[in-house]
Amino acid sequence: MKTNRQANIRLNEDPREILGVPPDADDARIRQAYLLKVKENPPDRAPAAFERIRDAYEVLRDPRRRALHMFLSADPHAPLLSLLPANRQERKFTGPDPWLAVLREK
Amino acid sequence: MGVKLNRETKLPHPPVRGTGASVPVPQEEEVRGLLAKGKAKPAVELAKEIHKRCGCPESEALLVDAYAARIRSLWKTGLKEEAKALFELVHERYSSATARLREVGVLVRASDGNLEELLRTLNDPALPQEIRRAIENAVRCQVCDLSALAQCAALTADHPLRTAAAALVKAFAAVTVGPVKEAALVLPEVSHRGPLAAWKILVRAIAYFYRQDDEACERCLKIIDPDSAPARLIPALRTMLRSRTDERLTFAADSLVAQVCGNKLSLRRALEALESAFETRVQGKILPEIQRAMTACDVAYPELVERLRQHIHVRALQLDLPIRKVRAALGGASTKNAYFWRLYARSVESSRGPIGPVTCALWEQFRRHAVAEGWFEENGPEAAALYLHMAELLLEVSVDSLETLQSDFAEQFSGFQTFYEDQPPAIRAVEAKYKKRDLYFLSPSPLFERACSIDPHREAFEQWLNWARQESDWRVADYVAECWHRAIPNHSEPLLYLMESAEKRGALNKATAFLEEAQKLDAVNPEVRRAALRLLIAQTGRHLRQRKPHLVEQDLAALEALPQAQVTDRPAYLLALRWTCEVIRSDAEMGSSFLSQIGHLLGSPAAAILACQNAGALAGLTQEDFDRHLPQKVSLDPADSLVSATARVCILGDDVGATFTIPTAWHGRLLQELTNAHGGLEGRQLETLGRAALRTNQKELAYAASIAGLEMGGDAEARFLLLRARALPEWEFERRDDCITAAVELGRRRRDTSVINEAVELRRGRPGAKTNFFDWLDSEDWHDFSMTTEQIHAVLQRERHSPTFPTDRSAPFRVSFSRETMFLDDEDLENDDEPFTLDDVARLAAEMSQARGRRQKKVRRDLPGQGDLF
Repeated sequence: MKTNRQANIRLNEDPREILGVPPDADDARIRQAYLLKVKENPPDRAPAAFERIRDAYEVLRDPRRRALHMFLSADPHAPLLSLLPANRQERKFTGPDPWLAVLREK
Repeated sequence: MGVKLNRETKLPHPPVRGTGASVPVPQEEEVRGLLAKGKAKPAVELAKEIHKRCGCPESEALLVDAYAARIRSLWKTGLKEEAKALFELVHERYSSATARLREVGVLVRASDGNLEELLRTLNDPALPQEIRRAIENAVRCQVCDLSALAQCAALTADHPLRTAAAALVKAFAAVTVGPVKEAALVLPEVSHRGPLAAWKILVRAIAYFYRQDDEACERCLKIIDPDSAPARLIPALRTMLRSRTDERLTFAADSLVAQVCGNKLSLRRALEALESAFETRVQGKILPEIQRAMTACDVAYPELVERLRQHIHVRALQLDLPIRKVRAALGGASTKNAYFWRLYARSVESSRGPIGPVTCALWEQFRRHAVAEGWFEENGPEAAALYLHMAELLLEVSVDSLETLQSDFAEQFSGFQTFYEDQPPAIRAVEAKYKKRDLYFLSPSPLFERACSIDPHREAFEQWLNWARQESDWRVADYVAECWHRAIPNHSEPLLYLMESAEKRGALNKATAFLEEAQKLDAVNPEVRRAALRLLIAQTGRHLRQRKPHLVEQDLAALEALPQAQVTDRPAYLLALRWTCEVIRSDAEMGSSFLSQIGHLLGSPAAAILACQNAGALAGLTQEDFDRHLPQKVSLDPADSLVSATARVCILGDDVGATFTIPTAWHGRLLQELTNAHGGLEGRQLETLGRAALRTNQKELAYAASIAGLEMGGDAEARFLLLRARALPEWEFERRDDCITAAVELGRRRRDTSVINEAVELRRGRPGAKTNFFDWLDSEDWHDFSMTTEQIHAVLQRERHSPTFPTDRSAPFRVSFSRETMFLDDEDLENDDEPFTLDDVARLAAEMSQARGRRQKKVRRDLPGQGDLF
């Protein structure tokens, strides 16, 4: 049970995210998602994406590897910024005045 | 006006004696050259000198030009007031300045903000082109108020500048109040080459920014003229795009960022500042940044406060910061739940410090909380995987170091009570559940046992058994094999191990019972078939030693009935056993017949003698028996066949599980043949021969085999480097280390994991490596196996060009072996004495006495009558 068997996904990547399944997905759901993703990314057209999908599935289908991935995926050296949600930043429309104030400022 | 300008304001007075005629000004070229290079200040100084000397209109014109350049330069560097003051002075003092300073005057007037006055000039159809360009440039760089430009009364209503400005005002307002369509960004009124082109790009950049198309926005920012007025918004936009959060912003820009992006950007900047502070490792810098980051997080993402606190706490633990101060900066203690313990365990695991009991203790904390929080069940496969991971961590530590670490830890460890201060009751309840101190995680055995009982599978049991095999007490490994067999009865491996173990202890009946069970499971398994052969041979050996020929007959009949006994050179070994049986019966004729048959099968009488000698050793034959039944002199045909013959028999020995040894009396001849081999031997033969030599501590012979092997080159180089490493004397530790490291690197490149494993074990000095005197390699840097191609080449070259076995630095005291060995084709028989140094004996004795830990080193004794052949 070595720590770095999978070559195409990093430890800090969530294999469930790669397959697009929720955390509570059962084996059947995981397999279904895997097959769908493979159909979208066949090995002859998108080899890199296919390898990632396959490796993510390999991690999830084997309970031992899945467990090991869970233990080792915590990265204490990850940038603190990575804790922030990855969703798009909110950008408020303010009207022209605050923008023009920057231009007028001496 | 600044002090800096005082020297420049001392303008030269009008000339006292001027001729009035147009004359060439000396050094004019020099002044023009300086101006061309952009060196306005020295140009002014020189022009002033010239004008003082000449005092003619030409020198005045030159001076005014220099001043114009200086004014421009001051303007460019932002010293607008100074530029304006200098302009006024020059304009007032020199009559020729009015025309020559007209272009510069546009710049100066633009800074007054008097747009109307500046633009009115544009209505003049006779306006020189350079003046027009200067005004447009001023508009490009100075005009920030597009509304004023759009309504400028000095220009006609349909003037392109006014219409462009009006369109831009409308578009700017549109993109900052809501999403806009692409058509609204086209702005045909604004020329791409006009003075307002940068505004057009800015409007587009803002539109892309709000569309979250950050790449397109950045592309626009890159093409905005940095001297233009809209460029002032670039830092703020870049900050909001996250590409540059470190830039110091103006007050208005900060305000814009806060209004557009809210407080989230402040948190990002606080976290980046904290990262930088952590890099400095200075407590005084880190603690205030922690406080700032926590405050910013509380405002922007209150739901992330706890997670951030845990990460920061672990970082602080890594740096050994005072925990109470950190806690104060964090605004409270971090929650010690499963997430925290996992993070902390990983942090310690990935540090450069020694891994071992402390890491396992942290993983145990994680396990407790993970179970309590429902991450996994106490007896689920995840728990088993965790136990295995902890066991693997302990295996990373060398055996001796682990023993020290275990005792130190057990003595000093008092739990994690300080971590549970100020914790919620739910967290404290988990810790309170484990009242009894249980340090099971200090040893691999209970960890493996827990893992295997929860989730029994082949890999886990294999790991456990491999570890147990290294223990000196055979019962440890037997227990593991029994557990394996109980847990997974249909696996043949534990039965084979139990059989082998019983066989080694001489418990052949038990061994047979285990074998029968294994055969029931998987009779065609090659390992089972080999084990059956090996066990029957061991049984035959016992009956031979007990001098029970009738039982030997039965054994031999059973052996001959085995299909696996009829392949390769195995029939020759069965005949050697029959020869031994005839020797015991004192039937010289039959013995001679078998010897002849063996020689025929193995292709060499020397090989037959060696096979019979080893079979005889198994049966406990005496020296007298060998003397009587084996020939004293042997003819070798071809003359250089002893190495091949010996290697072939050694391979046969390995094959049937009876590791053969080489008589020391053969050394001289074998060494001679190896030296003259010139590539006529096979790699496998050489390696087996070398290993067989090492079994009886015949390092010189093993060394010679490694020379011949290294000369062959190719893929076997790594193996022969390992053989060389084993064959070298202890005091050649640096050379040994080089050989091992080069072997690992070669193995890595050729993906030969067996070489890598063997080298690692050899360097660790584990018992499995069969040598254990290399204790210094158990130090922390044992795992450093990197070597460049050049270094590997250098090691190979050095070893290939070292044909002589290194002798001890002190003068060796040699004794001759008691018996002579004679090969009939030797030219110089008297030189065949086999030397054996007392150092060899002393070394062997030292190695035997230096058992590592509780391990017992096996040292095979040489065959009886080893010097009696030929």
